[in-house]
Amino acid sequence: MPKTMDRTDVRSTTALESPWVTLVWNDPVNLMSYVSYVFRTYFGYTPVEAERLMLQVHLEGKSVVATGTREEMERHVEAMHDYGLWATLAKADA
Amino acid sequence: MRRFERKPDGMLEAQLDAEEAVLLQSLAGQVAELVAESALRQAQGVSTSSTSESDSTSSTSESDSTSSSSESDSTSSSSESDSTSSTSDAAVARLLPNAYPDDPEASAEFRRFTQSGLAERKVGNAETVIRSLAGAGATGSVTLDDSEALSWLRTLTDIRLTIASRLGIESEHDDAGRSIDPLMREIYDWLGFVQNSLIEALDNHAAHG
Repeated sequence: MPKTMDRTDVRSTTALESPWVTLVWNDPVNLMSYVSYVFRTYFGYTPVEAERLMLQVHLEGKSVVATGTREEMERHVEAMHDYGLWATLAKADA
Repeated sequence: MRRFERKPDGMLEAQLDAEEAVLLQSLAGQVAELVAESALRQAQGVSTSSTSESDSTSSTSESDSTSSSSESDSTSSSSESDSTSSTSDAAVARLLPNAYPDDPEASAEFRRFTQSGLAERKVGNAETVIRSLAGAGATGSVTLDDSEALSWLRTLTDIRLTIASRLGIESEHDDAGRSIDPLMREIYDWLGFVQNSLIEALDNHAAHG
């Protein structure tokens, strides 16, 4: 499959622009303990901070769990999909 | 089943009945199959988008009658963008979600670069679960290290996401699916119990020194 395709051309301009965010969305399936566990073990949040972000997802429907370059946020989103969490990325100012 | 606990040597151990082990192996196998098939289908859709019209008719004529998704294939092949957008199967859409919900082009590109790897890792996790259950033997004792436990957490999630979409579960507190399939709903809750007990055992570092 086309894994070798060069994608730097489209990315070099966006990296200089405004930061991107990783959003995790609420879903009715994932256990609160699991979401909190993922935030602690993957992002390295403290138990208190992970719990706060998990509750934000749970109560407000979504939470920004990371901010950075588009490439970094794509890595995080892919990692969240590995965990089965519903994650997307977007421009921070959007 | 007896819940997961961390043993003095750091390993995580649970006790499963024979039928629980068979059930879990079967569910893990089904999710692996679902993920592998849809990733393959989407990969083919991307690489042959110019000829996607003929995909479901000429090239697979001998398997047409057995293809469970032939009806959705034949309707979606009319538009080029459909081959890379989220699939009509809600379970698959949740297992391999859109990274850019408002940008179909970026979403398709993200899929192109990440989906086969994501699908492979999900299949690998399911295989780990199946392997550790096969190793449980007559005693029903399942023993995991932390890395295997991570595969378990992820596969339990994938199975629950799949069941939830099939049962139409849309909120945490409702009884959704009980009327559709009470047994499946019970299994769904049991899988949640298994997962939660594994998380608690993982968090218990005290026994580990």
